[in-house]
Amino acid sequence: MSAPSTPVAGATAEPAWVRRTLIGSALVFLAGFLLLPLAVVFVEALKKGLAVYLAAITEPEAVSALRLTLLAAAVAVPTNVVIGLAAAWSLAKFRFRGQNVLLTLIDLPFSVSPVIAGLIYVLLFGLQGWFGPWLKAHDLQVIFAVPGIVLATVFVTFPFVARELIPTMQAQGTEQEEAARVLGASGWHILRRVTLPNVRWALLYGVILCNARAMGEFGAVSVVSGHVRGVTDTLPLHIEILYNEYQSAAAFAVASLLALLALVTLALKAVVERRMARAARLAVQAARKDDVAARGPQRSNAVGRPRRSAYAQAGGAAHHAPIGGALAAPAP
Amino acid sequence: MSIEIRHLHKRFGKTVVCDDLDLDIADGELVALLGPSGSGKTTLLRVIAGLETPDAGSVRLHGADAASDPRGRRVGFVFQHYALFAHMTIFENVAFGLRVRPRATRPDEAMIRKRVHELLALVQLDGLADRYPHQLSGGQRQRIALARALAVEPDVLLLDEPFGALDAKVRKDLRRWLRRLHDEMHVTTVFVTHDQDEAMEVADRVVIMNHGRIEQAGTPDEVYDHPKTPFVLQFLGDVNLFHGRFGHAPGAGDPQAEHTGVSYVRPHELQVLGAPEHGTLAVTLSQVLTVGTQARLEFRRIDDGSWVDVQLPRSEFAILEAKLGLARGSRAWLKARRVTRFAAWSDGDPAVDPAAMI
Repeated sequence: MSAPSTPVAGATAEPAWVRRTLIGSALVFLAGFLLLPLAVVFVEALKKGLAVYLAAITEPEAVSALRLTLLAAAVAVPTNVVIGLAAAWSLAKFRFRGQNVLLTLIDLPFSVSPVIAGLIYVLLFGLQGWFGPWLKAHDLQVIFAVPGIVLATVFVTFPFVARELIPTMQAQGTEQEEAARVLGASGWHILRRVTLPNVRWALLYGVILCNARAMGEFGAVSVVSGHVRGVTDTLPLHIEILYNEYQSAAAFAVASLLALLALVTLALKAVVERRMARAARLAVQAARKDDVAARGPQRSNAVGRPRRSAYAQAGGAAHHAPIGGALAAPAP
Repeated sequence: MSIEIRHLHKRFGKTVVCDDLDLDIADGELVALLGPSGSGKTTLLRVIAGLETPDAGSVRLHGADAASDPRGRRVGFVFQHYALFAHMTIFENVAFGLRVRPRATRPDEAMIRKRVHELLALVQLDGLADRYPHQLSGGQRQRIALARALAVEPDVLLLDEPFGALDAKVRKDLRRWLRRLHDEMHVTTVFVTHDQDEAMEVADRVVIMNHGRIEQAGTPDEVYDHPKTPFVLQFLGDVNLFHGRFGHAPGAGDPQAEHTGVSYVRPHELQVLGAPEHGTLAVTLSQVLTVGTQARLEFRRIDDGSWVDVQLPRSEFAILEAKLGLARGSRAWLKARRVTRFAAWSDGDPAVDPAAMI
């Protein structure tokens, strides 16, 4: 994606002023809409001094919110890895009726407003909801409690892993699995030794995006949380409460914590991308070297580099991710 | 190991891809399944491997009904696009079939190592054990795919268009190599191809398929010299087609001619003459193409204006050109050395008519 420094002849050669304008406007936009807000978060957080900052992030309610956020992510990510893997596997490796319907359904959490997602759970598990009486009879509470928050988080983050895996798995087809089967591998062996290693980068990428969204989710969680301070507040909810109570320094302090989590995610994502790019580059170099030595000009580039789709997906997915996701969005 | 296929049916949706197939493959044989795309040859191969389940009929390997799961079949399968495990080294690719065995029959690490290096030596790629598949050329990948399939000591080796994705030169080398390998190892081998040269050059026996049916099975010479159906004849090389008996316009005198159906003459079985004889065809030369050692002549029939192709060695053409003064538009007469006829109404019964051998 980076523009070559020396202009290439032909269709891609734009006049210098066009290039400068385009790159410049992109940079200005980036600075204004991404870097500035991030800087503001940290500046505002530290405006009243380090003591206030530390107090804000170590008060019990903040710690509890952090814990709940991490818990929600810790449940949502593995759940969605398993379900996403199963969904991607069935969609990419089999042909069946209703495949397109399922593919569309996977996107539902992206297309439905998070508020509605939260509301669905209230209508299902709330006191007046479908399962409300049953839950009450068994003394279980889902809504306005931790299970509701986890459920809502799982729902809104569901598509990330599946969406990331499907194009990769589709591109790879089923030949390698068939080869493994003929060689005598069991289903479990095939999954563990052939399928998973082939999609590992796509999977990791999906996990990172899923995690970013899980930690940053606001709308759906807000509806099911009930805002019981110190019990059902996640970090984003806690920030909102502080902000509404005019404790802006504390709000920004906690926000900086969330931003830091997002930055860690972003760094992880960059590392993953760099590793993927390096693997691809090494492959190309090796292939070139081989070309000189060997005669065969026929060399498939399809294998071993499932990456393109992930880049394309990242941009699309970022639209839906309000806080953590937005920070973890388009890298080069 | 022998393979017996009986009354095999397979359809995908509404398309019938295998239509009541019967085929016997003897122990140690090297058989080519030859046919155009969509003829069902790959599906047949996949059914033998257990990768597809037939709708009806049976596949018996060495007299016993084949296990429903390919895991139990002891077959080696080489895929058209190799299907090497992209994330594993060449060594691990070849070792895969040994490593996934149940603990009881799994060889130990030293044994695996020994076996893999033997196989890599066999395919002449021992130095590449630590490479990854994407670092190899197409021909090398194909040989690794073969080594991987052989690692499990299969009773049957199945290859799907094994040389389809390779360039012409590599392809030729690999063909010969596969033939030699088979002669050394004597494992029953079935390969799919749409290239008749490949089938004729490599296989002991060629099975020609069309529209999910077996048109003919036999040695390369049998199917080439005694084709059972027009399809076989036309698929195995170029052919000229004459309605009615060759050398007579339909309905021109000879009462038999009207019933003789279609006559086929291969381009290299036509002789170019400077004067008419009994049973020759008057033509004019319209084009000459020389390709490699061959000259391809295109003639036009005087009587009905249809085209006739003639093929002859370039040296012969040079002599002919000098003797007859052949040039574009000049008149000549064609004489067939051999004619194959099929009665128009019957699909089977070949009639390589000795009487028609003019």
